[in-house]
Amino acid sequence: MKRFTSLALAVLLGGLFAAAPLAAEELNLFAWSEYVPQSVLDGFTEETGIEIHYETYASNEEMLAKLLSGAASYDLIQPSEYTIEALVKEKHLLPLDHAKLPNLKNVGKEYWGQPHDPKLVYSVPYMQGTVGIVVNTAKVKEPVLGYADVFQNKYKGRIVVLDDALEIVTWGLATLGLGPDAVTKENLERVRPVLAKWLPLVKVYDSDSPKTPLLNGDVDLGIVWSGEAAILIKEQPGKFAYHLPKEGAHMFIDNLCIPKGAEHVEAAHKFIDYLLRPDVSRKISEEFPYTNPNVEARKLLSDEERGNAASYPPGDPKLATFRDIGPLAADVDKLFTDLKAKSGS
Amino acid sequence: MRQEATGFAATAGGAQRAPGRAGWLLLSPLVAWALAFVVAPAVIMLVYSFAHRGTLGGVRLGFTMENYAGVLDPVYMQIVIRSIGYAALTTVICLCAGYPVAYVIGRADARWRNLLLMAVMVPFWTSFLIRTYAWVTILKSEGLLNSLLLQLQLVAEPLEMLYTPGAVVLGLVYTFLPFMILPIYSSVEKLDGALIEAALDLGAGPLRAFSRVIVPLTSPGIAAGVLLVFVPSLGIYAVNDILGGGRVDMIGNIIENQFKGNARNWPFGAALGTTLLVSFALIYWLVNRRQRAMAESR
Repeated sequence: MKRFTSLALAVLLGGLFAAAPLAAEELNLFAWSEYVPQSVLDGFTEETGIEIHYETYASNEEMLAKLLSGAASYDLIQPSEYTIEALVKEKHLLPLDHAKLPNLKNVGKEYWGQPHDPKLVYSVPYMQGTVGIVVNTAKVKEPVLGYADVFQNKYKGRIVVLDDALEIVTWGLATLGLGPDAVTKENLERVRPVLAKWLPLVKVYDSDSPKTPLLNGDVDLGIVWSGEAAILIKEQPGKFAYHLPKEGAHMFIDNLCIPKGAEHVEAAHKFIDYLLRPDVSRKISEEFPYTNPNVEARKLLSDEERGNAASYPPGDPKLATFRDIGPLAADVDKLFTDLKAKSGS
Repeated sequence: MRQEATGFAATAGGAQRAPGRAGWLLLSPLVAWALAFVVAPAVIMLVYSFAHRGTLGGVRLGFTMENYAGVLDPVYMQIVIRSIGYAALTTVICLCAGYPVAYVIGRADARWRNLLLMAVMVPFWTSFLIRTYAWVTILKSEGLLNSLLLQLQLVAEPLEMLYTPGAVVLGLVYTFLPFMILPIYSSVEKLDGALIEAALDLGAGPLRAFSRVIVPLTSPGIAAGVLLVFVPSLGIYAVNDILGGGRVDMIGNIIENQFKGNARNWPFGAALGTTLLVSFALIYWLVNRRQRAMAESR
């Protein structure tokens, strides 16, 4: 809306003074909803005078659709790792100028060498998360350590999971000893009977706010984003527990990237570097308690924040990221749609 | 949409004059609007439905029938059939619940009538999504309704209401009931009381007067209401996500998934959309033709 108003104003003014100089610098940020704190945006504008237009999306696919339609020009996007892999393959990203990102040194070394962009040429990690098991310990007394422990007949109608075909398929693969990169036509058939047993037990599918049915007492356990679980643990201490499935867990890394066609490349670099500053990055963690890839910012967290098992899982867990699976995505979706329809009423 | 009170052949028989130059001028905003926001998107959807899947979403233009073959796949047919079932059930409940309400409002005296009409329309002043989330607060296991039932000791355990198919139907009926009431009301309002009295004078019982006189005379309102409820409830996807816990996928959810979900299969989504659009047009045409036939037979 703001963007539209300023555009309309620009057109009006442009008509009046054909050679009017450009207005203040600006940056068009296209990022996940509920992911960038307003205080951080305001802080950047205050320091640099660069105005940020923040537009949001709810899935990587939605972002791709709008980005590639070319209807609007974005300077900074926030894709997850498997989407970066696809975007790099199709040459839609600009290489970053590391000389302009002195704070890049704050990024933990485990975030270098990831398969989607090993040298962080195109992307800078913003937040990292996992997908794991959350349990209402008042209702569920036995330990629930793996995917197979969640999907037991005794929990029928008490389970919430992400409404996400690829997630659920990879959980099934994990119980067969296969990683998330093992999505093939043959393996989809192997995983079908596993999921056919699981899905009838599920009460709620929700990717947007899976914590809600847990908070409302409509379900007792589930497999959700770590950030959602971290909020549950923070709000009702002692009631909820989170841990990573023993079969292996999915890790996602959301990054900052500059798409080709960006008009404010300079401002985009400035904003990335600003977000990498420990004091700024710490503010993001406070509001959205995912795993912060910024090791300097982690040092500024409170003991309670660092001790939240959902944000910072203890031990040395087996984590893997998603890979771009190309046209197989349609097969994954079809399998999930079919099993869901057959398990529903 | 025809909403004449009695269905007397007002449009069926009369010759319609083509608009003159001034008429076209007055119509031009509407025509431009329809071209830009109805015709153009439908054409784009049609073209996309024959295209190939693009790597990052989007389409590669071309010609293939693959997407329509996909629509007929049993995986998706079961969802189409289920959606029709839910939409039909919603329509029947809305009709049974909405008709008496519309009738009472339509026959009430003017002061009451406006008040009652207002009561039907007030919910529209709030966003549909917020009203649907309000049902979550009512139906959840620690929610308002369950606390009430527990307090009154009508149940020992909280009832499982949220995230059930019943909750989906409730949400659909709640959302679309006004769309049934309003058109029927407008038919009832114009109903000629003398005709009912005549039927009763001539020996028809109340039931017979209702089925042979009142229902046929209000049938344009019924037809409009049925269309206005059935068509959108077939395509809606938010109600089943919020109240059904995402378990009951309908066509709308499948289409959404092709664009905003993992699948990233725009041409297939477009094929599903085109199929829906054509089916709607067909239903509309059939209903309209029936109405016209009925009007002419009288």
